[in-house]
Amino acid sequence: MRLAGRIDLVGAGTRLLAPVVALLFAFGIFAAVLGVEGTNATDAFSQMFEYAALPDSQVDILNRATFYYLAAVAVAFGFRMGLFNIGVDGQYRLATLMAAALGSASFIGWLPGVLRIILMVIVAMVVGAAWAAIAGLLRATRGVSEVISTIMLNAVAGGLVAFLNTTDHWGTRPEGSNAVSTPLLPKDSWLPNLPLIGGTEAGVFAFSVVAVIVGVGYWFLLERTRFGFDLRATGYSPTVAAASGVDAKRMVVWTMVISGAIAGLVGLPQLFGESHAFTDSVGGIGFTGIAIALLGRSRPVGMALGALLWAFLDRSSLILDLADIPREIVVIMQGSTVLAVVVAYELAKRLSRRMQRRRVGGLVETSQKEQPA
Amino acid sequence: MSKSKPTDSSRDEDRAAEHGPPAVELRGITKRFPGVVANRDVSLAVRRGTIHAVVGENGAGKSTLMKILYGMQRPDGGSVLVDGTPVAFGSPQQAIAAGIGMVHQHFMLADNFTVGENITLGAERRHGIGARAATRIRELAARYGLDIEPDELTENLGVGDRQRVEILKVLYRGARILILDEPTTVLVPQEVDELFGNLRELTGEGLTIIFISHKLDEVLAVADEITVIRQGTTITTVTPAAVTARQLATLMVGSELPSPAAPESLVTDEPVLAVAGLTVRGPAGRPVVADVGFTIHRGEVLGIAGVEGNGQAELVEAILGLHPAEGTLTLAGRSLAGQSTRARREAGMGYIPADRHRHGLLLDAPLWENRMLGHQTERPNAARGLLLPGAARTDTQRILAAYDVRTPGIEVAAGALSGGNQQKLIVGRELSSAPKLLVAAHPTRGVDVGAQAAIWGQIRQARGNGMGVLLVSADLDELIGLSDTIKVIHRGRLVATTDPASTTPEHLGLAMTGALEEPS
Amino acid sequence: MRRLHGMKLLAAAGVVVVALGVAACGGNDDKEPSSGDSTSAKRTIKVGLAYDIGGRGDKSFNDAAAAGLDKVAKDLDVDKKELEAAPNETENDKYTRLKLLCQGGYNPIIAVGFAYAGNDPANGPLAKAAKDCPNSHFAIIDDSSVTADNVASLVFAEEQGSFLVGAAAALKSKTATVGFIGGCEVPLIKKFEAGYVAGAKAVNPDITVLVNYLSTPADKCSGFNDAAKGETSTGGLIDAGADVVYQAAGGSGTGVFKAVKAKGKLAIGVDSDQYNTVSDDLKEVIITSMLKRVDVAVYDFVTDEANGTFTNGVTTFDLKAEGVGYSTSGGKVDDIKSKLDEYQQKIIDGEITVPTEPATS
Repeated sequence: MRLAGRIDLVGAGTRLLAPVVALLFAFGIFAAVLGVEGTNATDAFSQMFEYAALPDSQVDILNRATFYYLAAVAVAFGFRMGLFNIGVDGQYRLATLMAAALGSASFIGWLPGVLRIILMVIVAMVVGAAWAAIAGLLRATRGVSEVISTIMLNAVAGGLVAFLNTTDHWGTRPEGSNAVSTPLLPKDSWLPNLPLIGGTEAGVFAFSVVAVIVGVGYWFLLERTRFGFDLRATGYSPTVAAASGVDAKRMVVWTMVISGAIAGLVGLPQLFGESHAFTDSVGGIGFTGIAIALLGRSRPVGMALGALLWAFLDRSSLILDLADIPREIVVIMQGSTVLAVVVAYELAKRLSRRMQRRRVGGLVETSQKEQPA
Repeated sequence: MSKSKPTDSSRDEDRAAEHGPPAVELRGITKRFPGVVANRDVSLAVRRGTIHAVVGENGAGKSTLMKILYGMQRPDGGSVLVDGTPVAFGSPQQAIAAGIGMVHQHFMLADNFTVGENITLGAERRHGIGARAATRIRELAARYGLDIEPDELTENLGVGDRQRVEILKVLYRGARILILDEPTTVLVPQEVDELFGNLRELTGEGLTIIFISHKLDEVLAVADEITVIRQGTTITTVTPAAVTARQLATLMVGSELPSPAAPESLVTDEPVLAVAGLTVRGPAGRPVVADVGFTIHRGEVLGIAGVEGNGQAELVEAILGLHPAEGTLTLAGRSLAGQSTRARREAGMGYIPADRHRHGLLLDAPLWENRMLGHQTERPNAARGLLLPGAARTDTQRILAAYDVRTPGIEVAAGALSGGNQQKLIVGRELSSAPKLLVAAHPTRGVDVGAQAAIWGQIRQARGNGMGVLLVSADLDELIGLSDTIKVIHRGRLVATTDPASTTPEHLGLAMTGALEEPS
Repeated sequence: MRRLHGMKLLAAAGVVVVALGVAACGGNDDKEPSSGDSTSAKRTIKVGLAYDIGGRGDKSFNDAAAAGLDKVAKDLDVDKKELEAAPNETENDKYTRLKLLCQGGYNPIIAVGFAYAGNDPANGPLAKAAKDCPNSHFAIIDDSSVTADNVASLVFAEEQGSFLVGAAAALKSKTATVGFIGGCEVPLIKKFEAGYVAGAKAVNPDITVLVNYLSTPADKCSGFNDAAKGETSTGGLIDAGADVVYQAAGGSGTGVFKAVKAKGKLAIGVDSDQYNTVSDDLKEVIITSMLKRVDVAVYDFVTDEANGTFTNGVTTFDLKAEGVGYSTSGGKVDDIKSKLDEYQQKIIDGEITVPTEPATS
């Protein structure tokens, strides 16, 4: 009895159903577009699955999911209180650059690798947090929409990164190459890739452990701390939260700071496990993070599934080219999944509320409906 | 549309034989909302040239019925007849075209427009926006005795004038049948009398008025016929001469009407809240609460009476720290001026907000999280910065039982509860922390009679245990019944103090218009 | 309130979709029949091409590589597979692409663009793929940082070709002011600038060279594909006095030509003989183009491979190897051709050494 009361089965049911329906819808679009192209969708999909099942691909999917997940959590942190941190991209580019530049700088060459890694992680988080804090402070003190300011700050961060990552400043260029990057990190601060999956030499980023920790921490902070309650309350209704004693301005700044600190981690899995330097190719994951946060409804497990789905689609799209199927089909599918999921969640929410109402029963009507909005 | 019940139509036909077809007739109207039947087999006939009142409790289905008549909702069954012709409105525009107009409870006027502009706004096609329109407005105003000057700026108008503008707006659009939804809520008794005068002029000119209210004295005073709605259906139609207010109330509620019993004074001389020189400034720097000072003692209920919009909301928000204010504020000997809302609540302030949805509940969150709301820093909800969901859930169960909140469980979203149950949850939550001071703004607004009595009882009991209460209400009976002292607020100032034992609603009403301003 | 939040979420979803859509537009899926003709006498060779972002149809660099391959297909029976990079992809994606080609039996494999070398040439995408597929032959264009037994680096002396068109610009200029529009501020494009400036100064030491870059790596080098911006910037250079403008800006070049035409000045094209590729109304402004024969490099590489000769290490396509040069279509430089050829000979003979980086001012 008690259990039944605690778990809102109806609500949970409709909410689980929503993404499934949305995915089917997205697959429908996928199939339709392929049909127009004259390709069999099931065929294409089974090729994608086959390819994704290879050990190499599994590793790659986990690795992609690692940084996608971090980006999604960073975005979701803002989402949960109604803040739209569009600036994860800029935050993590700047943070990755600073961390990479510091880690490869000669003046801390004496530091043992482990300490250097820890220092770099801290620097990345601080830089990300500081960059996001600008938007938070602007919002709190001047009422500037964080959407606008974070987009602007993305551009500024891009300019800064481009300026600093040149051979005149922190960048180097290998002889005969055109790629400019920060110097390679000393080998003792490369993180080993974990041989979790047999049948391949490739390993899973050690930083995936950090992503898991971040996910658990995200859940704990939001669901089990007072701060999280304040944050969620503000997300539900800023006016109600204010009346309950939440200082909205402080919450805005803190939320942006934490969101930015997590954003600072986004570039690190690749930095420590793959590229070992900051390159121009760093960037763009912040927007994917928005998509995955929407897919996962900002819930820790939902976003993990969303990140894996996204990574799977990304990875398996590589095989499509080889089969002469336009890879853009995957982009279409990703886009339609996000839209379908957002719509489906909203419908599910209304449906489950309606069903709750029915259960509450009686003449519940419409103290809400009767009041003019 | 389905056929109406034969019994009703036969009765209506009798009447139609006397006076021609009724101006408006509803036959067997049924309207379902998800999980709820808002209207069930509602039938009523409104004779031309009369004031027909529709009374019922909050949530009885009056508003839904009027929305159906005005084309805002479509009925699931039954038919609507205007002047004997069946109609089916898909939108308010169609209703307006058929000569039906609605005067909403909340005014929809642009302050920075003139009266004339507000009236012509959206109806420019009728007479343009120039001199022709102004002439037409003057004509209408003169004909129906509505004293309105079209060139006046709307922001300079009082509440009564604004209501007349709303009525003119509807007349200007050619309405012959006017629906007035709770028109007296925002008026003081003197303004109510003026309104009734205007309404009689209108019916005298052949217009028909449907008057929605739950205030029985008013209905008895003005209506030619009264239809009572209870639980979504029409109970009966009576004439004022044939019933007393008490009988009408019994019809409306289905049982005896409760009223706040005269309290024995439990006031001590130990101050709980002392406020002095409290000034709140509006957006333009003009004070909306000016130099307010009062003291509430342990066990005392201080009532604040006033016409809505005279600074009550700002006063309450300033005391809670939601609105910056000047002046001193001391709670149980501790100065709280300049402190955050959280600090004030932790110091022992409970808060029942006027607007549950904007300030009281997270509608999408489960009940047990709403139980934490506003008390998320204290046991049983949290300790050392960490939430205690288990303890909060248990305590929510206790509140549900103790305050008779009807719900299938604590995981239900607060938004799924009825207004009365939502309010009981809020009251239970606020009283559970045994506050030193309860700031209660319209604590029984929009709740049914049963819940109202329960809430009054609970507030009274907590007061008996030494709690101080600041009670802001528009319900004068509630103020008189609960308060130990009543102060009247007018244009942001406390202008009068009365003893509820010796005052009447009429006297209070006079004070609320500012007519009894005391020298301060 | 809640509805507003819902709308905001939907708006955010919309932004994501638009962002993805823009990314998708970067792609191009011109489908070509996979084999030109199939005369049975020809030998079959399986060639894999891994493009950088843009792929076949970018009217620039990638297309030049594709043209080289198409030319091979006329002489040999080519079974080709062309894969293309996605925006924001990781180094692992590039590695995977090369490896997919190798696993598909394609040999040789050509990586079009320096991005395939990665920032750490010893462990970059190409180096890793070359290690995984020791029996396949790889080539990379515009990079000489990857060293392996089965990797050939095909690089160009863009500065030499740019020197010649710089000289042409100076000779044609009446205002002693010429302009340069770079698509993106990267070392590769700076090589064009350096050669151009040196060539102009060789003719007239006092000449003013106005330089403008349309983008930086920070905006993902959007300036290679922003004709409107090219038009505006070029207008600025001309207003400042330039009467000959050299563009090394890829797809933005048409904007440059339009601005030049509007103001009645002269322009110099890049990579391919643009006199032959632009629309007819713009032909008149193009006096010459700096030719970067990526097609020649690809053609030579594949043909050699087919003949069983593979040379690892760096092959530089310079003036001497006719890997770079200038075009004469339209006859606008016929009057100064002898002077340009003189410079060309001096460079070939080593009398003139063209700088690869602009002098820092």
